[in-house]
Amino acid sequence: MASLTVRGVRKKLGANPILRGIDLAIDDGEFTVLVGPSGCGKSTLLRTVAGLEEPDEGTVLLGDRDVTRAPPRERDVAMVFQSYALYPHLTVRENLAFGLRLRKTDPAEVDRRVAEVSRMLGIGHLLDRFPREMSGGQRQRVAMGRAIARRPQLFLFDEPLSNLDAALRSQVRVEIKRMHADLGATMLYVTHDQVEAMTLADRLVVLNAGKVEQQGPPLEVYHRPVSRFVAAFLGSPAMNFVEGDLANNALRAEGLSLGYDASRFHGALPPRAVAGVRPHDVVVSPDRGAITLRVEVVEPMGSESFAHGTIGDQPFVARLEGGAIPSPGDTLRLDVDPSRVHLFDKDSGRALDAEAP
Amino acid sequence: MTRALFLALLVALLAWPSSATAQRLRLWHAMRGDEQAALERLLRAWREAHPGSVVEVLAVPYDAYASKLESAIPRGHGPDVFIDAHERLASYQSRGLIAPVPEADDAMADYEPTAVKALTYDGRVWAWPLSIKCVALYVNTRLVPGDPPATLEAIEAMRATLPRGVYPRVRVAERVLPRGAPARLQRRDPRRARRYTFVGPEAARSLQRVIDMTRAGVIPEEPSGALVSQLFSTGHAATAISGPWLAAELGDRVPYRVVPLPDVASEGGRPMAPYATVEGAFVSAHSHDPESASLLARFLADAPGAVVRARLGHQVVANRGAWAHDPDLARDPLLATFRAAAARARPMPTNPAMRAAWEPARQAILKALRGDMPPREALEQGLHRFEDVTRPLPRRRDATFALLILGGLAMALVVAALRRSRDREFRVAIRKSVPAYAWVAHAAVIVTALVVAPLVVGAATSLYATRNGESYFVGLANYWDILTARGGPLLATGSFYRVLLVTVLWTAVNLALHLGLGMALALLLARPALKMRALYRVLLIVPWAVPSYVTALAWKGMFHRQFGAINAMVTALGGEPVSWFARFSTAFTANVATNAWLGFPFMMVVTIGALAGIPKDLYEAAEVDGASRWQQFTKITLPMLRPTLGPAAALGAIWTFNQFNVVFLVSGGEPDGETEILVSEAYRWAFTRQAQYGYASAYAVLIFVILALVSRRRAEEAR
Amino acid sequence: MNDERRDGLLAQALTHLALLLAVGFALYPVLWVISLALSPSGTPPARPIPIPDAVSLDSFRAVALSHDSAGRWLFGRQLANSLIVSLATALASVALATPAAYALARFRFVGDRGSVRVLLATQMFPGVATAVPLYVILDALHLLDTRAGLVLVYATTALPFALFQLRGAFEAIPRDLEEAAMVDGATRWQAFVKVVLPAARPAIAVTCLYAFMAAWNEFILAATFLSREEAFTLPVALQRYVGEYDAQWGRFAAGAVLVSVPVMAMFYAVQRHLVGGLTAGSVKG
Repeated sequence: MASLTVRGVRKKLGANPILRGIDLAIDDGEFTVLVGPSGCGKSTLLRTVAGLEEPDEGTVLLGDRDVTRAPPRERDVAMVFQSYALYPHLTVRENLAFGLRLRKTDPAEVDRRVAEVSRMLGIGHLLDRFPREMSGGQRQRVAMGRAIARRPQLFLFDEPLSNLDAALRSQVRVEIKRMHADLGATMLYVTHDQVEAMTLADRLVVLNAGKVEQQGPPLEVYHRPVSRFVAAFLGSPAMNFVEGDLANNALRAEGLSLGYDASRFHGALPPRAVAGVRPHDVVVSPDRGAITLRVEVVEPMGSESFAHGTIGDQPFVARLEGGAIPSPGDTLRLDVDPSRVHLFDKDSGRALDAEAP
Repeated sequence: MTRALFLALLVALLAWPSSATAQRLRLWHAMRGDEQAALERLLRAWREAHPGSVVEVLAVPYDAYASKLESAIPRGHGPDVFIDAHERLASYQSRGLIAPVPEADDAMADYEPTAVKALTYDGRVWAWPLSIKCVALYVNTRLVPGDPPATLEAIEAMRATLPRGVYPRVRVAERVLPRGAPARLQRRDPRRARRYTFVGPEAARSLQRVIDMTRAGVIPEEPSGALVSQLFSTGHAATAISGPWLAAELGDRVPYRVVPLPDVASEGGRPMAPYATVEGAFVSAHSHDPESASLLARFLADAPGAVVRARLGHQVVANRGAWAHDPDLARDPLLATFRAAAARARPMPTNPAMRAAWEPARQAILKALRGDMPPREALEQGLHRFEDVTRPLPRRRDATFALLILGGLAMALVVAALRRSRDREFRVAIRKSVPAYAWVAHAAVIVTALVVAPLVVGAATSLYATRNGESYFVGLANYWDILTARGGPLLATGSFYRVLLVTVLWTAVNLALHLGLGMALALLLARPALKMRALYRVLLIVPWAVPSYVTALAWKGMFHRQFGAINAMVTALGGEPVSWFARFSTAFTANVATNAWLGFPFMMVVTIGALAGIPKDLYEAAEVDGASRWQQFTKITLPMLRPTLGPAAALGAIWTFNQFNVVFLVSGGEPDGETEILVSEAYRWAFTRQAQYGYASAYAVLIFVILALVSRRRAEEAR
Repeated sequence: MNDERRDGLLAQALTHLALLLAVGFALYPVLWVISLALSPSGTPPARPIPIPDAVSLDSFRAVALSHDSAGRWLFGRQLANSLIVSLATALASVALATPAAYALARFRFVGDRGSVRVLLATQMFPGVATAVPLYVILDALHLLDTRAGLVLVYATTALPFALFQLRGAFEAIPRDLEEAAMVDGATRWQAFVKVVLPAARPAIAVTCLYAFMAAWNEFILAATFLSREEAFTLPVALQRYVGEYDAQWGRFAAGAVLVSVPVMAMFYAVQRHLVGGLTAGSVKG
């Protein structure tokens, strides 16, 4: 196992910058998830680490070794592709053994590892099948098995679950987490799915337009987003944003007055800002509620329901507990714990409590 | 390991010398049947007499004989000795292909003077005389049991008494004038032999005679050499005018006798006096071993050899010694008849332009025979054609200017390359390209050497006038000639624009048929309830699997006037048999039918593939929206097929535009070169009209320009 | 159009009728040739239904047992010539084209588009004009009248064709496959040989078949470049049976059957892959 360090990596595709100076330091054995919207450069970054792309500038270190210009085969990394990329003309057994045979591993050792991996993933009965003879889930498992059998220094995953259906996806997610625990390997995982990102990561790296927007433990990133972008990206339904005037430890706009915890903000605050409130942080308070939501659509989910509506003329979603389901047209009075209110600069989108970038 | 072995084996097989060593003597001929057998017997005798010598024999089909000799001999790949007719002597001599007979005065004493005279040109004798070929009248004694008919008119009268389907007479009509024409035609002055003389009132009259006989059913339509032996040997012709070679093919399939040619009563009872052809053994001027070659040629002609040829091959041998040596020969009625005919005949004149005269003369005669044109005009037109082919070549031009332009272009390229190489980004790009070059280098070198270089050379040839081996720079004169239709009417038969129109029509009709048939069948095969789908599909792609030249020749046979299956069908349905290649419309139809057969499976398979890619739910959605089946077809199927069928159609258009095989093999340009398309026209200029490569190359470049412009337009539209 | 309940009996009958007509059209010339080959007289039957009066193998015997004056078995030699030349053309052009086609499909390099355009242009230039320069080149290399020379001539059309065909096939193979192999420890070349080539096998087989068929069926160039009977390929030998002055249709037909059967067998062996190579199952569901 090894640590991974990425320093100042930049890459252009034609005149188009894809990576605009990436710095990452991933510890040995850490599960790191790269997350971001499509086109943010996360796949390119992963492929740069794999050696499939060469950066224009910057260095990639695997352990202490500079592998920036090394071809993939000299990096000792394994990768699980979104398409699985199983070799169509080889059986599962041969697929699993492919990398080992290329490295001239002793045949007995190859057999042992194939057996071990197939036991671990429960694909023993598939060993003599060809890829085209298997279901999507089975192929996905073989693709992971092929990586595991290699026992690489670093595992790379490129959206490995995006071709599975929802039920299978959550099942495999758990398995990947268990696998990480068992192997204790260093893993770098790319996804655009924030659920995967939150559940799998030891460290979450949010990429936006070729730059690292924020990185850290997932819960920290969730609760302390450094920007409106990160705040909006994590959480479902997404965080509500309302713009208003700041005065007396509260943000005011038509139909709402939001108190915030002034101790979190240092220095002078601007006169106007954007407040961020997660739908889950809202409580119904018919007496004290300083927020008036006009309900337009209600989504009952059983244990909870989501009320979509407007505050003044700004859209807003609130999560409601249990049985009390309002009807469209109702007006709800809501309240929010001041410590759960985030404030963002209305132009740059930076969190006002974040340290200067 | 096995793969390496296999490759090694393959390399060994390729290297395995299929080529002969220079020590062998090569002999070429165009003989068949008994004549060929006689020649082989002689060669066995030669091998016994000269144990160390190896003679390699090649029988070349007559059609390709001369052009093969002309291309092979100068490059040292030709024969040491070849047997050919004396008419081509002048053409071979003018190119320096043949060596004269040494000490001819003594050697020729043994031979018939007519034969020696025929083989003399420019004061020297150029070949050892082998035989004199001329024609006589073959009579089927079962159909004509009594005395043979004495006059042409008597033969014509037989029409009334013969069973239906039997022709009183067959002969090779296209050879009527050159080889066996009625007496009048021969009254021309050999000293004016350079002129094309298949023209004038007398020629027109004798041609009219043939036409009348064809109309009266005395001779069949579309006669050819193959048809003569075909009809006579199967008892479908009562008489035939032909040479001894027919006897060699007949064997004992039909009872016959041979008599002198009948008289022509209408011409005052004069006998028909045909031309004679003298066959000789020529020695190549490029022979590896001229002495042995000369010995071999003489051996073939000498008295003992002549006896073998006469007995086995039924030849009227030119060696007088042979007749004296073997009195049996003179007693053979067949040989005696032909010998008598030979004595009456006159050798055909020879001159270098002779070969250029055949094609126009043949076209003119066929045209008149079909009744497309009165004989006189047809013959006149033939003269114009002849002049067209043998027209004076364009003026020689100074190549300096062209070289200057070329040099300037090269300089500009070098300067541009230098300037670019200073550009930093370009250098980075080049450096990054190096690994890729390792993958393509070998292919690039080979494609450049084998594909691009010949193409550039070929294109450059179009700036030269070439004919019969001579060649010089003429600038753009070839293009000028082509694009101005050599001063004639722009839409005359054989002009570039006319051929272009035919080519465009050809491409459009074929493409429509390919697409229409292919799509219709694919849609039928796509019907879900269809049974035996796989079987249908397998059977319907048969035409794709059959070699295209086999297809083309088979279709040509099926369109044959006398025994083709198509006419059999027409007759079975109560129609009159059609001379398919006599009219543009029917000949074009025959070509199109062949090519449609050849090409529809490709479009069908492409369409099947594309249909499989259309999601079913689109149709369901359309059905829910209330679309009729026809609307579903026009609004969903067609637009969804377009991305696949578009490129396939473009490819098909290029293939069809340059579809040489079908046009060349099926109609062969008949009638009168009207169904020729641009590629086949170019081929004719290069290989049958005095080897005018430069002119042919200009055609090729024009074809290239047209295709490039059209496909460029298409690409722009697609964008 | 896809609802079978709508196809009544009449519609089905019409479909079959149309297809049977088409099959008749497709098979007729083939049957005509076969009946000609089998007919004892060797003359074409002048009747609409191509069935010979009697069956005889004389024409086949005459073609297959043809010997030359020196007693050599001509048909055998010509068959060997055809086989060797066609096989060598197919293998050589596909072997040469494969790496280059891969590079054209995968790498961006200076001159990549230009070379594709040049290749495309060469396909529009009619072969008539290049025949003469090729003749001169072969002559200079002393390769006229040899199998190797003919292979070179055929390669001039087979190679560009194979380049296009294979470039398309490689473009259809997902990049992921070779990238996976490289991450697994393969060099670019190993990934190509061990992963890309096997995945492209159907396309390569089809390309080989096309090149083989083109060489096996070609006769004009062969007739131009060969001048010795024992160097002939089968089509040249065949075409001579139906010359202008002597048409032996029976022998032509028998020869045509002998020449066509092997290519047709090969054609049907790979016909499933004729349009588009398949990599089904290797990626995605």
